[in-house]
Amino acid sequence: MRASSLLLVLGCTACLDGIGEPGVLPLAGGATTVIDRSSNAYSFPAPNLSDEELDLHLEGDVAFEAVFVSPPATINPGLGPVFNNSACNRCHVRDGRGLPVAGQGPLGSPLLVRVSASDGKAVVPGGPVPVPGLGLQVQDHAIFGATPEAQVELAYDEVSGRYGDGEPYTLRRPRISITLANGEPLSAAVLSSARIPPPVFGLGLLEVVPDDALRELADPQDGDGDGISGRVNEVWHRAESTTRVGRFGWKASEPTLLQQAAAAYANDMGVTSSLFPEEDGSYELALETLTSAAFYTQTLAVPARTALEDPDVQQGEALFVDVGCVACHVETLETGEHEIDALAQQRIHAYSDLLLHDVGFDLADGRTDYFASAMEWRTAPLWGLGLAQTVLPYAGLLHDGRARDLAEAILWHGGEAERAKEAFRTLPASERAALLAFLRSL
Amino acid sequence: MRSLSGAAAVALATSLVTACVPEEHVLPGLDDPQIVIDFTDQVVVPTYALLAERVDALHTSAEALAQAPSDATLAAAQRAWIAARVPWEQSEGFLFGPVNSFGYDPALDSWPVNHTDLDAVLASDAALTPELIANLQENQKGFHTAEYLIFGIARSKTAAALTARELEYLTAITAELAAVANALANSWTTSVDGNPPYRDLLAGAGEDGNTAYPSLSAAVQELLDGMVGICDEVANGKIADPWDEHDPDLVESQFALNSIADFQDNLRSVENVYTGAVPSAGTAGRGLGSWVAERDAALDARVRSGLTAAITAIGAIPPPFSIAITDDAADDELEAAQLAVRALQATLEGELQPLVLR
Repeated sequence: MRASSLLLVLGCTACLDGIGEPGVLPLAGGATTVIDRSSNAYSFPAPNLSDEELDLHLEGDVAFEAVFVSPPATINPGLGPVFNNSACNRCHVRDGRGLPVAGQGPLGSPLLVRVSASDGKAVVPGGPVPVPGLGLQVQDHAIFGATPEAQVELAYDEVSGRYGDGEPYTLRRPRISITLANGEPLSAAVLSSARIPPPVFGLGLLEVVPDDALRELADPQDGDGDGISGRVNEVWHRAESTTRVGRFGWKASEPTLLQQAAAAYANDMGVTSSLFPEEDGSYELALETLTSAAFYTQTLAVPARTALEDPDVQQGEALFVDVGCVACHVETLETGEHEIDALAQQRIHAYSDLLLHDVGFDLADGRTDYFASAMEWRTAPLWGLGLAQTVLPYAGLLHDGRARDLAEAILWHGGEAERAKEAFRTLPASERAALLAFLRSL
Repeated sequence: MRSLSGAAAVALATSLVTACVPEEHVLPGLDDPQIVIDFTDQVVVPTYALLAERVDALHTSAEALAQAPSDATLAAAQRAWIAARVPWEQSEGFLFGPVNSFGYDPALDSWPVNHTDLDAVLASDAALTPELIANLQENQKGFHTAEYLIFGIARSKTAAALTARELEYLTAITAELAAVANALANSWTTSVDGNPPYRDLLAGAGEDGNTAYPSLSAAVQELLDGMVGICDEVANGKIADPWDEHDPDLVESQFALNSIADFQDNLRSVENVYTGAVPSAGTAGRGLGSWVAERDAALDARVRSGLTAAITAIGAIPPPFSIAITDDAADDELEAAQLAVRALQATLEGELQPLVLR
């Protein structure tokens, strides 16, 4: 049943091509692209997987949904003792974002807070320094009989501004308060950074973009003088015990999806694995489960764009280039060779260079992560962005979910993106609307 | 808690991708917004309202049981549990929106029950405050933990066997269950945290500024994905998983022996979406089916007969389902039920979807 349907998909890709050709649907994820604009749009397996790969993907789907419980148990033991949530898909809702919510409600804590000390001994070379009693992340839930490390509360302050034509807007700046288990507030000396879960589709393609391609896009000293630098993060690869290009996470602090998945199991759910073992070297998660969960995130399809015939969308696409967004949100990347054929040598439109950029004081978290400074974030991929609030109603954008819509997300940009942000802010209303229409078509 | 299974995802993706030939985009598919409006207001909202009402009644019956345990109050609680399952299972044909994004599905309907943690809490002397219950994992509360406490293994529970601590725990979790069911119902009809009610997003599909459903077709796709998804889940998950493994622990509603009714109500959920009506809530509107009938009466008849056949075939499985999956003598009926649901799913994907989404 599955094999025959896959052939149809492969046959179809011939009628679609790259970006910028009128009347032709750009394949955001190359041959891994699917057409669906429902809330399931991030959840399809890449249509070009082999039968065996599809089986592994489906195993990974089960792993991604598995709810962990306190040990000992017959099914999925290993949760905690402290944690943020109990299953991958509790945070990555329908393989997309999670809401900026922390606390004891039915959502658990999709919003989590990374912490580190400003000096001391890092866990791995070059990495952040753990905070005594907290480690590198605040786990605000605990299994029965244990105590959460802290309680995280989130409030917002309103920030007013005006577009160039005088139209007012309001942004909201998050204010996080952390109360430790002993009732004391978290010391101001601790570096902290709140994050929402990012979408997990299309990640395998990003993993396969060659290191050299990213280094070529990088311009750490702004040698070309365009005001945009772009730096590769260099992070610790646990399995190889060496430094590699960082790609995943809001600050590109993980080199591979396997390590990203293992880090999430360990930090978000308290589930240890071979890459993040217990102190005595033992671990809870079978390597096959970890591998299949990582494979799942490698092989989720990318949704195709929509509304290409809309003149606003077409105008907005041109403005996206003119305004300068593409300096970091690079439209097209090419993947290299890979053992998963479906991901190899694909022309993809992620709208990211996967590099670190300084986006200003307003977005800064004050916490460094390997080479990423307090003000630097990895360029967020924009593919599928128009579906953000279809997949997750009321989804917030940016690393901590503060932006309630696309315009707010743009308006928060600063630093290297200040000029592009200002260009957007001072566009006539109709052109701002067109640019947003383009983003919604992604 | 469930999501679109892989098989359904592949099938959906395939049928949609194959419709990618550019000129097909201009042919009209479903273009009547009233169908999405009535789906929202006459199917989803009343189903969740009924759920909230019946879960409230379940909590009330649990309190009555705790105050005066007897076989009569236990039987009343059991009846209330079964009644509350009907709107829940009839909502599973549209498992999108707040039920998912606010975590209400796992909060209501997680299984299998985590007996280790349940026993630990029961054995402790911890005060069962709402805060403590809120902190517990979903697999030790919600519908199925309440089911375990009220029915016991294979409906063996007697009032005399219920301890005071179990009754205290039962009322604590039915209180939370009621709060969640009401929050779910309210999320569709009232503003939450300054956001528009979800009802407005779906019923307003295609209106300017709608960031969730910028086109009517996106909302229609949502309806179809939901119908197809639950067919796939019933045939290839709820029936197949425990049957393939011959494992009663994988059976949904194994304590109340209510699985067959659950599965039938899942198919009635598809029927409700298709007809735009919820008989158990007394609501009716312009259904997808009426639009189909105007264009292809034969297809409309095939969908309706497919629904009836699937519900009938599931009803023919010899009860209880948890025994049937380990009894070779029931294999024919189990297979027939699976085939009937899969046939319906094939009609929805292969015929209905191309008509409404072209």
